[in-house]
Amino acid sequence: MMNNRNLILLAMLAGIAGCTLPAYSLVSAGPYAIEDLQVQAGGGWNLSPAAFTPSARANAQTWTQDGPLLDRLVFIPGVPDGDALLNVNEQSAALPVFRKDMLPNEIEELMESTIVKVFGEGNAAVSTSNLRPQMFGDTRGVMFDMEAKVTDSPEYRGTVGAFVANEKLYLMYYLAAEPYYYGKHESAAKAVIESARLVAAAPE
Amino acid sequence: MLAACLLALLAFQSIADEEIGHKIPPGYVPDDARDEQGLWMEFEEAERKLNQSALLVRDADIVNYIAQITCRVAANYCDDFRVYVVRNPNFNASMTATGMMQVWTGLIVRAQSTDEIATVIAHEIAHYTRLHSLEGFRNLKGKMARGSFFDLTLLALTGVSVPVGQMTAMTSYLSFNRQQETEADLLGVRLLANAGYDPHASYRIWRKIIAEDEAAVAKSEEPGIFSNTHPASEDRANYLETWVMAGFGPPDAEFVPDEAFLAILNKHYLFLMEDQIDTNRFGRTQALLEHHAQIGVEPSLVRYFYGEMFRQRGYEGDAELAIAAYRHSIEGGAAPPEAYKNLGYLQLKAGDMEAARQRFREYLEIAPQASDRAMIEFYLEEEQ
Repeated sequence: MMNNRNLILLAMLAGIAGCTLPAYSLVSAGPYAIEDLQVQAGGGWNLSPAAFTPSARANAQTWTQDGPLLDRLVFIPGVPDGDALLNVNEQSAALPVFRKDMLPNEIEELMESTIVKVFGEGNAAVSTSNLRPQMFGDTRGVMFDMEAKVTDSPEYRGTVGAFVANEKLYLMYYLAAEPYYYGKHESAAKAVIESARLVAAAPE
Repeated sequence: MLAACLLALLAFQSIADEEIGHKIPPGYVPDDARDEQGLWMEFEEAERKLNQSALLVRDADIVNYIAQITCRVAANYCDDFRVYVVRNPNFNASMTATGMMQVWTGLIVRAQSTDEIATVIAHEIAHYTRLHSLEGFRNLKGKMARGSFFDLTLLALTGVSVPVGQMTAMTSYLSFNRQQETEADLLGVRLLANAGYDPHASYRIWRKIIAEDEAAVAKSEEPGIFSNTHPASEDRANYLETWVMAGFGPPDAEFVPDEAFLAILNKHYLFLMEDQIDTNRFGRTQALLEHHAQIGVEPSLVRYFYGEMFRQRGYEGDAELAIAAYRHSIEGGAAPPEAYKNLGYLQLKAGDMEAARQRFREYLEIAPQASDRAMIEFYLEEEQ
């Protein structure tokens, strides 16, 4: 699992080795497509280089305002039946997987268990609440809130939006340190999540 | 394998033949040794951080329960220890040279009785009174220094840079560490028996850990319980059983339910097992549930988590097993509200709308303040 310590270590090793670190890039405000998932990006978000999120799925994106250890807005589009929300091949990781017939409570549990793995099993106790219906364009989905108590770290709070379309899961979540950072970007992050909708995928 | 077992038994025998006692008096503080004082400063800083951890369990009844066991086992050393219960579903406990003891909640869900929790605590207390942290630190430091000197000499003489010395030092240190573990096992059993706990608990808990490990889906690759610093669980259970049988005679044949332990487990079962469910390790979870059913944990709660385990595992036929488990949980009369809700969701998925609606209504009646009320009402209104 790529936890926060691994992230810092990766950056330090790259620095020591004299590598040119991949850079963040500013996300332009306005409509923004991640494959067939479209959101309305507000100002101030920065796209994290894929090298900083090695356990993310290939088509996932992580945005941040103050740095991913403090706040992150993650988009995971088009997860097919049987796939995990993370890209980790080790069987020992025991990642939970998406199933196309999942109901809202099961998507909530999928996320809860996945975030436990993100922080490292045994290093976090994650809970969810306020599961509620939410429309994403014409597609019915859900939103819910999340809390993570983490070893040697501030607590985290989060908000998750998700819907299933064409038997695939589209999931967006905002996770930020509490106190301060969660509240600082909460409304901006929720606005992006709530704006999510399915569009026709761009031709290859 | 046989050779390894024989070696372990021989090593155990040589340690068991010695009289293993405490090396420090109660209320011990470091002498003038600077390395020991430095080690204490490090541990004191770690304890300050631990005190702020969001994962500390602060429920007075759990903490007092563990603290009382600790004091009873520690006897005159009671005041040397601060007990911290940490929310972690894995099996572990630890002790520092300063007397900071951590007990993970994964130990509580794996024990059968107060005696089994006491055996782990006694082992940790033995580490403390035998100065194992300090001696381990000094052993590693000395061996690594000699190993590095050897490697540098080798480099100077041959031009070859291979960390043979450091690797040998590490291997030797791991062996030293295993010896410390065996010492702590043996002294721990004596402390356990002196405090009036059942010494047979010392190997029983390892037998359960072995059984759970065998039930794990990815057992050879999963992290956690076993490492090079500890004797293998099978060896450990064997030498402890041999020694306890020789020293204390055979155990009572009958298992006696431990009411104090069951009260703690029943009261906090939901959060303890939710943390376990979140690991997504269904083989281990199923082994734990079988164990809990055997020792008399409230059946409605155990059946509820069987439902959770089957439903989230999602193998063919698991939905039917989960429905049956939730129903049994509800029939038991002490089901959590979520049993009604999750049964309703499964019935919804199976197309039994009327049954699902009924369960959702019951859920909201039992838990009117449920945070997911909007979601449930959506289904109730949608399916009218």
